[in-house]
Order: sequence, then C-alpha cells, then structure tokens
Amino acid sequence: MASYSTKAFLILGRINISRSRLQNATNRATYVSVLSMNSPTGNRASCRYQVGVPRTEKMPVDQDWTAVYPSAAPFRPNAVPLPVRMGYPIKGGVAPDKKANLELIKIPNFLHLTPAAIKKHCEALKPFCTEWPLALDTDAKCDEHFPIKVQTTHFVSAGPSLRNPSARIVHLKVKLSSLNLDDHARKKMIKLVGSRYCKKTDILTITTDSCPLRKQNYDYAMYLLTVLYHESWKIEGWEAEKTVADMEEYSWENSPSQRNLLDTLTRMKVVEEEGGEEVRQQLLGQAEVQEYKDSVTRLKNEGENEDTLLQYKEAVKKVLKL
Amino acid sequence: MALQRLSLRVRQTINHARALHSTSFCQQQEALADHSYPDQFSIFRSPEHDPASQTENHIGQFYTVPASHIHTLFPHGLPLRYQQQIKTFNEACVMIRQPALEVISYLKQTDYNKPALRYIFYGTNGSGKTMSLCHTIHFCYTQGWLVLHIPDAHRWVKNCKELLQSSFNSARFDQPLQATEWLRNFRITNESFLTKIKTKHRYVWTKREFTEEGSLLGELVDQGISRVKSSSDVVGAVMKELRLQSGQSDAAFRLVVAVDGVNALWGRSTIKKEDKTAVDPDELTLIHNARKLMKNDWNGGAIITTLSQTGSLYSPKLSYRPQELLGQRGFDCMDPFIPVSVPNYSEKEFESCYLYYIDRHWLQHPQSHTEEGKKELIFLSNRNPWMLDKICAFL
Repeated sequence: MASYSTKAFLILGRINISRSRLQNATNRATYVSVLSMNSPTGNRASCRYQVGVPRTEKMPVDQDWTAVYPSAAPFRPNAVPLPVRMGYPIKGGVAPDKKANLELIKIPNFLHLTPAAIKKHCEALKPFCTEWPLALDTDAKCDEHFPIKVQTTHFVSAGPSLRNPSARIVHLKVKLSSLNLDDHARKKMIKLVGSRYCKKTDILTITTDSCPLRKQNYDYAMYLLTVLYHESWKIEGWEAEKTVADMEEYSWENSPSQRNLLDTLTRMKVVEEEGGEEVRQQLLGQAEVQEYKDSVTRLKNEGENEDTLLQYKEAVKKVLKL
Repeated sequence: MALQRLSLRVRQTINHARALHSTSFCQQQEALADHSYPDQFSIFRSPEHDPASQTENHIGQFYTVPASHIHTLFPHGLPLRYQQQIKTFNEACVMIRQPALEVISYLKQTDYNKPALRYIFYGTNGSGKTMSLCHTIHFCYTQGWLVLHIPDAHRWVKNCKELLQSSFNSARFDQPLQATEWLRNFRITNESFLTKIKTKHRYVWTKREFTEEGSLLGELVDQGISRVKSSSDVVGAVMKELRLQSGQSDAAFRLVVAVDGVNALWGRSTIKKEDKTAVDPDELTLIHNARKLMKNDWNGGAIITTLSQTGSLYSPKLSYRPQELLGQRGFDCMDPFIPVSVPNYSEKEFESCYLYYIDRHWLQHPQSHTEEGKKELIFLSNRNPWMLDKICAFL
C-alpha cells in the first residue's frame, strides 16, 4: 500500500511539473516537492495520465517493416497493425484481442523475418557467395557428379556457451546404384548395413555422432563407406554356407516347388520314364512350366493378393492341362 | 344410438386397420405366393437336384439334398449351424455357388490316370468354404466315389484328452478317441465299399492279433473301432490301402479325399506332452498319415480341401489366403494346387438366400420383409453368409 501511494505521488508530481513551467526541475526535486505535500490532492480526475496514440495509427501502408522489427523482439500490440486475436474464447464471445494479451507475448514470433527482411539479408550475404556452376542445372546432373550428400546442422544461439552438442551429428546419404557393386556385393552390402538402407529409394544413410567434433564424424562416415564398399566385394569362405533361409528373394531353381512339379509331370507322362536328365530339361523348357515358374516366384516375392493368386491358378491349370 | 354408431364406426375402423395390416402382410405373401408362386418357387429353388447336372444358370438357387444322403454322407461334415438349420427347416437346401461348380467341372474333365489334383477353397471367415466342400463331396457321392472326409483337421490338434504313445513308432503319439470317432463315421459313409475292397498288406496289431492279406476293409475298420488302442494305426492303414488301390486299373472305385481346415496339418498344436512341452503336429500319427494322403503320388481321384482360420491355432484373425494360413511347409507340400476363391454372396445369391428365409418363415420381423429391412440386412452382414445367418436367427 505504501508503494502504491508513493507511485501516485510520483505521478502527481510529474503532472505538476508538466503543468508548471519548471522545465529544468530534476526528478529529485519533483520527489521532494511531492513528498512535501502532506495530503493527496483532490484533483485526480483532472490529472489523468495521457495515453498516447498507438504507433499503429501513424504507420503508412508502404512503410519499411524491417525498421519496425529489425531483430527478434517480443510482440508489441501497439507496433503490429494486425487485428490478431489469441486465447481461449470467453463465454459467448471470441478470443481476447491483442491489447495486453500475454498469450501473444509468450509465443515466439517471426515478425523480424518477413520476405522483405530475408531479401535484405540475402543482399547483405551476396558479396560473400560464389556463383552456382551453370553446368549443374538439373537434379539428375547433380546426383551424377556428386552422388554423396552430407547433411550437417549448424546452431546459432546466444547463451552462456556458444557450443551446441547436436552440431556434431553428420548424415551421409548415397544411392547404392551410383556405387560400383555387382550382384553379390550389393546383397552383402545390404545385409551388412541392415536398417540403414531404404529399399524404396535405394539410399544408404550413415549417421555418425560418436565423435565430439563435426569434422571427426565426417571423416568417420567416409571411412565407414569405404570399408563397407571394400568388404562387400570380398568373398569369405563361410559365405558358401548360405542357406535358403538367408536368401533375400525366392528363386525357383532347386526349390521344393520345382521338384514337386517335375515329379507330377513325370508321373503324368508315365510312358517316358527313362531319360532322366533330358526329360527334365525338356520339361523345364516348356512354356507352361516357365509360366508356372513366373507365377510361383511372383507369389513368393510379392506376397499374395487376388492378382498373383489368379495368375498362379491359371498357370497351374495350364501346366496340369485342365 | 350415437354410442352405437360410434362403436360401429370404431369397430369398422379397427377392422379396416386390422384388415389393412394383415392383408398387406397377407397380400404380400399371397402376391409372393400366388401370381409368382411358380416363379418364386423357381427363382431360388433349382429344378436340378443332382449336382452332376447343375450348370451356371443355376447359380444362386437352392437344391435339396435328400435326407438319406445326409445321414450317410455327412455324419460329421456339416457346419454346426447348418445342421441346426436342417433340423429346423426339415430339409437340407444347399445354395449352388460358383466355386463349387468350378471344382465340379474340373472333376468332370480330369483324366483319372494322372496323379490326383489338389484343390483348395480359400476365403474370409464364414464365406461358405465348408458348404462348397460339402456340395462337391455330394457330387462325388452321387457319382459313386469313395469319400474320405476329414471333417475338421483342427479338431485333431487341439483338446486331446488322451494321448498314447504309438506302438508302431515310439516317437509318435496316438489319439484313440478321435481315431475311433472318425472310423465310425467313415464306416457310415462308405458302407457299400467296405465289403468290396480287400487289403493288400498284412497288418500286425499285437502279438496275437493281425489282419491277413486279402481280408475285407470292413474287417479292418471294425478292428479299429473295437480295439481302441490301435485305432490310430488302423486309420493309417486304411488311408494307405485306399491310396495304393485307387489308381490301379482293376480298382472299382475313385477316391476323393476331402479335408476341412487343411492348414492344421502344418500348423501348431495346443496339445502338450507330460513334461508340458508342445507336441509338433508331425508327431501325431493321425496328422502324419493325413499328410501322406495330401501328396499327389497316387492316381484315380482328387484331393479337395479348405483352409480355415476359424478353428486354427496361432494364426492372425484376418488372414485367409493360402500362403498365410498354410505356411511355408504347407505350401511346399501342396504345391502345385488349384486355389479356388470363395467370396461373399453376390447380389443375386443374397436375394436368393433372403427369399429362401422368407419362404421358410425364418424372418418373422415385419420390417425385414420391406426394402429398407433388406438394405439393413445387406449393410449389417456385408453379404457374408455366416453373418447373415447369425443376424436372421433372431429376426
């Protein structure tokens, strides 16, 4: 209460100063003159604090906005000429308006990053940039000449320390089709990297964050790529023990399906049971058998749906001559 | 006077209203019955009761299976709800549908000197696979074939009360109760054949009991039913004999092997051994012998099967396609087979079923006779036969 009343006195004091012609009176003198007054004056109604016209009314339409918000600043309702409303609507009404709206002040705003401001930033940065090479005008050409793409993030913030530990993370993306890999090497590479390879986009992503500095992580990622490439080209002794369960896709040769079909076909032609190998080759060469082989491979690789099942049914009917 | 007139008028209006209500109902029925009674009767009832002469024109219509056939052929094959329906309606009407007709046409065309062809009915739950199988078996029965029908292979891999170690092969397990039950039903279905077929091998059951070569199959089956302990081995012997004999040129019969829920043969089982480890279906004699039957190394017949998710163990609810339910091993065993899809009712088939239920007075609720009621039924059941049956049960 005491502070409240002293504030009232101070205001009164200032008003007195503006009224009186004591232009050079300092604040200290004002306080003294106010404090010397024993009772608050009764002319509070006349001493109303003059609220100025908000700046928004004086803003021309084609003003330079970058001057209003040159840098990040909290929301100032008298400086933003937009009729913004924010917050939970009051009962039977709408959200509160922008005057003294804490919700608008709390949130981050990007009023300092309008397109005009960005343009100015770009113009300021242009002297430090070099020109984009004209030969690289399409994405395909960029991929062809620069297949490895390295993505890093730089952080700028003001605080007790300028460093950000997330700045050390390096993502290295490369398309496997741009690497020189044969069939075995490609399969081995995919098995080695596991979940880092995306089948749909054929992109291998190596993310490194084990070293403390960005440069170290980048070197490590390049090293990993080199090692993976060379290792996948090598053929180890134990790779000969690859079983059917390890295979990435289904192959019809030497599968139970092939055996079953040949058994059935040989039994269907009961007369010509001799011949063995030749009969097998002859049977395998038939068009219906090829069709059957395609349908089974499609069924196993693509999974089952009405389409593949219908194709399989037709192929079986043809092979078994129904 | 006024009161009398009033009461008269009230009575008139009541009568009028009652008449309206009942006559509209009766009119509907009469209309349905009268001027289109012969049409109505033939819209959903097929004139052909013999599966052999049914064609695609009859799709959607019902044909009646004679009661005698039901008792012999299906002591154990029909779905439970359908058996109840037979009792309620006093007749067994089967809808003629495209999948069954397709398989019957293939059966008519095949050359029986070639190895047996395998057909698999697949479809979502309740779409009519078991009924299609029964329709096809009825066809085979009317053609005089020997029917080896395993009603539900899932019942052999779960809820087994007695598990004996097999005397024939000590690594395997016997299921005497299921085996005797199956032998009894087999005997009912194939009475006529049991006196004609002779065994080709000699079977020794115990030190003193044996079945000589050349004895009748009927004796073998009786042996299995009476001696419960060796019944699973008898089942195996019966299957082996039939398989060997069916393709021969001097055989008097054609064999159709019908298995419902064939994915149970390669699935998992919930039966546990005494030390609480699960039993692999491989180790059950019945399953082992059934798997041997599924191979197409015999001639002179057909193997018709259905996949079933409803009774299957450890399989996801929405899976219905062959590879999903059969698994890798099952697919490799059954390959090459002809998959036959059994979809939900088409519009025509739904109409037919709906009219059949009305005709049998199964749909009692007055609103179910209206167009909106019909649309509601379509919406609620999605034209799935099982769902439709469930919904109509309390209408």
